Amino acid sequence: MAVPTLTAPAPSPAPAPGKPPSRRRGWTTLRYVALIGAALVFVGPFVWIWISSLRESTDIGRDPFGLPTELNWDNYYNAFVTGRFGSYLGNTFLYVAFVVPLVLLLASMAAYALTLVRTRVTGLLFVLILLGVMVPFQSIMIPQYYVVRDLGLLGSYWGIIVPSLALGLPFGIFLMRAFFLTLPAELRDAARVDGASELRVFWHVMLPLARPGILSLAVFQFMFTWNAFLIPLLYGQHENLRPVASGIMFFVGEYNTDRAAIAAAVTLTCLPVIITYLFLQRYFIAGMTAGALK
Amino acid sequence: MSRTAAPPAAAPPRRPAPAGGARRPGPLRRLSPAARLAAAFLAPAIVLYLVFVLIPLVQSVWLSLHEWDGVNPVKTFVGLGNYLDLMDDRLFGVSLRNTLIWVGLGTAASLALALGLALLAWGTGRGFAVFRTLYFMPQVLPTVVVGIVWGWIYHPSFGVLNKGLEAVGLGSLARGWLGDPDIAVYAILAASVWASIGLSFVIFSAALNNVSAELLDAAKVDGANALQRFRHVIVPQLSHAVTLVTSLLLIHNFQAFDMVWVMTRGGPQNSTQLIATYTYQNAFADNQVGYGAALSVVLTVICLIVTVVFVRLRERTSEV
Repeated sequence: MAVPTLTAPAPSPAPAPGKPPSRRRGWTTLRYVALIGAALVFVGPFVWIWISSLRESTDIGRDPFGLPTELNWDNYYNAFVTGRFGSYLGNTFLYVAFVVPLVLLLASMAAYALTLVRTRVTGLLFVLILLGVMVPFQSIMIPQYYVVRDLGLLGSYWGIIVPSLALGLPFGIFLMRAFFLTLPAELRDAARVDGASELRVFWHVMLPLARPGILSLAVFQFMFTWNAFLIPLLYGQHENLRPVASGIMFFVGEYNTDRAAIAAAVTLTCLPVIITYLFLQRYFIAGMTAGALK
Repeated sequence: MSRTAAPPAAAPPRRPAPAGGARRPGPLRRLSPAARLAAAFLAPAIVLYLVFVLIPLVQSVWLSLHEWDGVNPVKTFVGLGNYLDLMDDRLFGVSLRNTLIWVGLGTAASLALALGLALLAWGTGRGFAVFRTLYFMPQVLPTVVVGIVWGWIYHPSFGVLNKGLEAVGLGSLARGWLGDPDIAVYAILAASVWASIGLSFVIFSAALNNVSAELLDAAKVDGANALQRFRHVIVPQLSHAVTLVTSLLLIHNFQAFDMVWVMTRGGPQNSTQLIATYTYQNAFADNQVGYGAALSVVLTVICLIVTVVFVRLRERTSEV
């Protein structure tokens, strides 16, 4: 009960009985009206687009807020085939399939190493990695572009995968290190006494225990890779390399009068993230707040 | 570093030295098994990080001291010339001003709206999960999509905003929101704020759930009214969440690029350029690579200063 009564009654020594129940109910109603209104503001625009994606473009021009008279799935066909969305989606899946597991693996390994050996060297390495968490991508993108070009990665799938992987590592290491630090070192020692090799201790004892952290990082990195815009804008200029996030820009540029097709394209771009979000919401929120809270 | 998990480096090798003794133990062999594993585990990440993040960060500074078109093999050293040029560049002034508007106004607006919503939703029981799911949703979507959707909302002829204004008799206020140089930057910022409320809302809600109910009840019994309870009981317990949300929003707003690029590409008449978009335009569209690098260094420096100040502030508040 945060701001229960804006027109507060004179403070009475007996709190609850002095409050008329009708005012209380009025306030509750008002509060839910505001909360539901806010929900509409957040979700409404997307519902509008989803509805538009099933209409005719000419109808949308005449009445932007009407309902579809009949479900027009042609828009999706147009976006998928004419607008090359099938290929864009395929590329995005490819990037996700490479970047997410690689970030998970390399970040977990590096983070584990930082908690396993705690010397001045690893301390310095961690500070350097923190720097990577803090600086904006725009601070490094210009020289990075020429690094990618000089390595001959420009114009290939690797030109997007490798920089995305490198950019995902600082936050990944940061997050996983925080998780490994919460695990008791006695577990590691016990496994060692049992004769397990260092690699085995990591793979069979410590890594499985860090599962919540791995899942949080996985959904975070999935979202980041799916949504990335500037990286493909820089390294995926060629049509065949474009993921959905940058492909949709070209689509909008080419078909800007076909609003229904754009709506279908927007829906296709959102849907996989929204479905993942609805199922793994807990980990999405944990992934985005964990780095901040630690 | 008292909690050294690895055995000391001087520990005797677990296994006897290989028979024959012909091979001298290399530096890696002298390390403990744990340290050897750590080195092997760190190597791939560190190499990638060095090549694609750390070295480029240093190179940015080096490039900013040169004039280069990105193609010519020769880079001309100009010292601080690019930075001096910034002073006379009207567009740098515009992009700096816009970046400060984003960082200042954008952060304040997201913060206030998220806190307001979190207070409203506080204690709504089972309904809370539904509100959280819906409010957080824009946060997970690609910024490009948010930009396109808001481009529709602002559309001069069929956008919701103008239609809505006409419907309530305020048709005179209707305009091309993204075409007006005085308004466009605020219009884009509104879309960005809309998309970034979710995370702040979640953090504030979590903090509110930790507010001590006993203290609140005690204040109520003592006759504190709603405003007094908010000011003297709730706010002090939220201070950690406030600094946390602020620093997250600051970093987020400094990095803003996608939204502007999708909605206006810095136009009309460059009125919506941010330092980030202006950097991109110089380095990759106008072939002013050195000048672009100087812009990116300015952004880095401002961003690091603000981040460090806030990390310090956070440490101080968490000590209290």
